[in-house]
Formats: sequence, C-alpha cells, structure tokens
Amino acid sequence: MATKKEEKEFEKERKANAKARIARMKAEGLEKYFTPEQIRYNRNRRIVGAIWPVFRFLILFGLGFVIMYPLMFMLSTAFRPNEQMSDPSIVWLPKSFTLDNLKDSANIMKVSFWDPAHPLQNTVLNTIVLNVVASVLQVITCSVTGYGFARFKFKGKNAFFALVLLMIIIPPQITTIPMFLQYRYFKLFGIIPINIGGEQLSLINSGWTMYLPALFANGIKAGLFIYIFRQFFRGLPKELEDAAYLDGCGPFETYIKIMVPNAKTSFLTVFLFSIVWYWNDFYVSSSFFSENRTMALMLKNLDAALTAQLFNNQAIGARPIIVWLESGCLLAILPILIMYIFLQKYFVEGVERSGLTGM
Amino acid sequence: MSEKNQNTAAETEQAPAVKSGKSDDFKGIKMSYEKRKAMYGYGFIALWFIGSIYFFIMPLVQSLIYSFHQTKVAEGGMQYTSGFTVKNYVDAFRKDQNYVPALTSMLKSTFLNTPLIIVFSVFIAVILNQKFKGRTLARAIFFLPVIIATGPVFDIITGNMSTGGFSGGSDQFSSMFETNLVDDLLTFLGIYNISDKLTTVISELTADIMNLVWKCGIQILLFLSALQGIPFSAKEAASMEGATSWEYFWKITVPYISPMMIAALVYTIVDSFIDPTNEVMKLVLSQSKEWNHGYSAALAWAYFAIIGIVMAIVLAIINKFVYYEVE
Repeated sequence: MATKKEEKEFEKERKANAKARIARMKAEGLEKYFTPEQIRYNRNRRIVGAIWPVFRFLILFGLGFVIMYPLMFMLSTAFRPNEQMSDPSIVWLPKSFTLDNLKDSANIMKVSFWDPAHPLQNTVLNTIVLNVVASVLQVITCSVTGYGFARFKFKGKNAFFALVLLMIIIPPQITTIPMFLQYRYFKLFGIIPINIGGEQLSLINSGWTMYLPALFANGIKAGLFIYIFRQFFRGLPKELEDAAYLDGCGPFETYIKIMVPNAKTSFLTVFLFSIVWYWNDFYVSSSFFSENRTMALMLKNLDAALTAQLFNNQAIGARPIIVWLESGCLLAILPILIMYIFLQKYFVEGVERSGLTGM
Repeated sequence: MSEKNQNTAAETEQAPAVKSGKSDDFKGIKMSYEKRKAMYGYGFIALWFIGSIYFFIMPLVQSLIYSFHQTKVAEGGMQYTSGFTVKNYVDAFRKDQNYVPALTSMLKSTFLNTPLIIVFSVFIAVILNQKFKGRTLARAIFFLPVIIATGPVFDIITGNMSTGGFSGGSDQFSSMFETNLVDDLLTFLGIYNISDKLTTVISELTADIMNLVWKCGIQILLFLSALQGIPFSAKEAASMEGATSWEYFWKITVPYISPMMIAALVYTIVDSFIDPTNEVMKLVLSQSKEWNHGYSAALAWAYFAIIGIVMAIVLAIINKFVYYEVE
C-alpha cells in the first residue's frame, strides 16, 4: 500500500504524463487518434465542465440563501431594539444592538442561569436531562432490538417486523389519548394499580412519560431507529460474530463485545438524531406535561406568555412581539445548533454509512 | 441472500458449540442449535415487544374501541355513554362540515408536493455528491433543516403561528421572491397568463419554495447515501461508453437510487400526513381538546385508513419501476 503522500505524487505524475500525451497528440493532429464522435464528445465535456461549476454555485448559493434567510432574520431581529422593527431604513443591520430582548425571553422561558431562587428549575437543564436520559435508553434498547431482527431467525419474525413498520407509519396522535389515561392511572405491567397516599399513581408531568417508552424501545421515532439499526447490523460482516461464537461467547456477550464497538459511529448518529427529535418534540411533551418544562414547550407558549407579561393581555398580533419571539427562537435552537456545528460530520456522514443505503 | 448465509453459518458453528458442552443446553433443556438461536432472537426483541404491547398496541386498540363509542371523560378513565356504534364515522363524513374539505385539500397538497420534494431532493443530492470546494459547508447548510424544521422553531421562523398574520420573516421573504422574481421570469418566458389555472399552480408552487427547501433535509440525506452506493465500475463503464452526464443521470443514477426513492416517498407522505399543523390533524386535535375523544379517534382512524390506501396504491405503482441490483 502506498502512503497518501506517495499516492498524491503518483497522481501528479499521471496528470503530467496525460498532459504531455495530449499536447503531443494535438501537435500531430487529433484526427489521427480519435474518431470525430470522440472529438466532439470530449469537446462537449470540456465545455460542460467549464460552465457547470458556475451554475452549481448559483443554484447552491440561491437555495442556501433560502435556508439561511430565516436564521439571518432571526439573528438580525433578536438583537434589535423593538422600536427599530418598524423603521423602514433598516433591512439587516440594526442601528444599535441590545440584549434586552434576549433577557426578557430568557426570563419568560425560565432559562436564565442567573436566577438564584430556582437554580434547578432551569428549562435548558431540565430539557437536557430529559433528552439525554431518554435518548441513551432509547439508543441502547433500539440497537438491541435491531440486532435481534438483523441476525436471528425465529418464527413470526416478519410479523414482528411489520409491527415495527406500523410504529413508523402510525401517527402518535392516534395513541395519545389512551396513553394519557394509561399514564394518569398508572398500573404496573398494565394490571397492578399503585396507590400512593390514597391517590392512584399518576405519571403525568414526570419524566417517566419519556423514560419508560424509551426504556422499552418505544420512544419518539423508535420504529425508525430500530429499522436503522437492523439495516446497519445486517451490513456488518458475519465473520465477526462467527469468530466470537467459536471462542465461546454467547449471543449477548458477542453483541456487547463485538458488535457494539463496531457500530460506534452508527450509535453516535442515532443518538444525535434522537437528541434532536426529543429536543424539538413538543407534541408528546405538550400532551403529558403541564408543568414540566421543556424548551420546545416554552417556545410554543412564548407568544401567549409575552402578551400576558408585556402587553397586559391585550389582543395583539405577533408583529409587535416579534423581537422577543425571534430571540426566544434563538435561545431554543442555540444548544442544538452548537452541537450541530461541532458534530456536523456525524450527522451527515454517519447516516450515509449507517446502512440506510440498504433500504 | 441473508437466509442462505445464516444457514451456512449455522452449519459451521454447530460443531464447536456442541463440543464446548457448556452452552449445549438452554436453561437445562436440550435444544438444537437453531432452536437455541431462535430463543436468543426472541430474547433480543423481548424488551421492545413487551414495551410495544403496553405503549403501542394497547393504546391503538383502545383508540379503535373509542372510535366506535360515544365517550365522556370521568374520574378513573374513559366512560362509554353508548353501546357499539358507527355513528362517529357516519357523522365525520355526513355532518362534519370541515372534515371532508380538509381531507381533500390535504390529499391534493400531498399529491402536488410529494413529487416536487422527491425531484428536488434528487437534484440537490446529485449536486452535493459532486466534488467541489466548500462541499462540506454546502452539505452542512442543506442538512440544517433536519435539526430545526421538526420543532416549533419552524413555525415561528416561517410565520406559521397560532396568533397568525404577522408580516415578519417569511411573508417579507416570500413576497420578495414570489411577486417580483417569479412573475417577472414567467412574463419573460412568455408563459404568464396563458391560462389562469396554470398561473395559479405555478405561483402556488413557487410561493412555497421555502417550505419545499426546508422539508427536503432527510430526503436529501437518503438520496445522498444511495448515490454513494453506486459502484465505481458503473461510472467507469458509462464514461468508457461515452455517456453524457444527462445519459449518465437517467441510465445509471436513477436506476441505482430507485430503491431509495421508495423510502423517501414513504417518508415524505408519512411526514406530511402526520404533521400536527396540517388541516386534518388540527381537526383531530381540536376535537380531542374539546373532550370528544370518541369522535376524535374516529376522525383519526378514518384518516389513517385513507393514508394506508394511498400508500398502498403509490407503492404498488412505484414498485414496478424500481431496479434492484441483487435479486
């Protein structure tokens, strides 16, 4: 195997040789070497090769602008004093910058770290704890399930897998109400009621409404994650496990000692996606939480809270409160955006390599 | 393919497994190797299956039962105020003035948007798969919607808010594009106002370009992974034979990514159907907020049945055009 450096040198050499050859051919007249069709084909390719990058840049720049526009608007607005919103002379850069909007929104969304009265009731911390615990549980259990589907033959496997597909397709809205009742009047194993202080145990508003499904591989988008893990494990070479079996490992041991280390990137990707989906989820949290605060929930209720606190409940549109809304948005996506900037390659490359290809 | 592998693997492993003696019996019961492996298979999916009984199947069946009853909420759970009845379903299609229009508009917009999203994501994926400077940055930007667009953030930055009607980001934005650029372009091309219907369709599509771009993240990701699965030999052969990029796209790229087309199609349709901001979902949710759980469940189930039928038809059609390299 040549090293990378050597490969580069080879490449250089090859290119130089090709160039010299073409120059020689041109001097002798191309007709001698190529048919007219080949000459035309090569010329067309050269022209397309010269023009296409320009078009590509224009297309990517335009569409990239469409994607970045709301974010730039958010940045521009979040730091803009409210009075300057209706100033027509300002397009992007406000005349002065302020942090007041951010502070107000942070107070309303209860993310201010400088609030000494309730240090533990910080929305960001609360959301992070909820997300990380649920995601870790979910990734572990989904990977175990996916492995079971990928590498074992058992009766009814197809029926079980149809259930996984059903979990992907059926919208969570259908099952929410019965789930709410299940959590509200929680019974152990669905049979044994638990009474605490005369009241039947209710899981509403507790993190268990997220942890329990995740623990049993039934959390948010769990079907999709099981599918991804199944595809991924199917793509790994079987020899790995066979070697482990020969050395006397049981299937569970093999899974932990051989498969998990090999699937690190895939685990990270699924974990990141799980975090993102839990972070952005407001449907499940709004159904099962009325007090437990998550970022998405706070953001969803931000406009109502703003009208109540800053405008004494006057009926106003969103126009006057847009600076606070946008700064609230900024607060809500900042943690996930920072994560994305640093771990971007795991989002993109991870999915490409994680076996989704085999769908 | 995998079945065959499994068989051969089983045969090669059988001998040492028996010899070791230790793992010969499973909890004291003698079993063949295959049976034992099947038991382990059940073991691996057991946790998920137990969970899905409680967190998926039971609620699903429960909501189906609700949909066939008149319900009211009472202490200790749900109470049925009537026997088994299909009244909820009949009401949904006969009496409800919002349900059927919402359904048709929903289906219409899905039919319009889905092909657009698919074509657009294939196009972007092909571009992002080429080698050029700044590719990492371009990819990072195009996947940004994946991490943001699923949450309430998207509602705010696109101006799709509960209070509604503010002329902030997206309004300003879409007016910028729609009225000036697109109309100008259409007039320039001479196809503006040929027929009113065509104009409406075009302007509807272009006004939605932001929605389009923001909804394509996952699909682009899927297609990109499919594009990277195209073997180098295919590319080499095509360039040997003198294929132009256009021919290469239709004869090599499209067949190779067609299996992923199904995945992307299913994802797009499901995504648009279960989006809590679409008309039908809003109806379902508002009914359940008014404690009409039976009726809400009936709406959701009727809707779900329609999704199922639509998906089955689409998949049956698409499956005919898909090219599988292996089988």
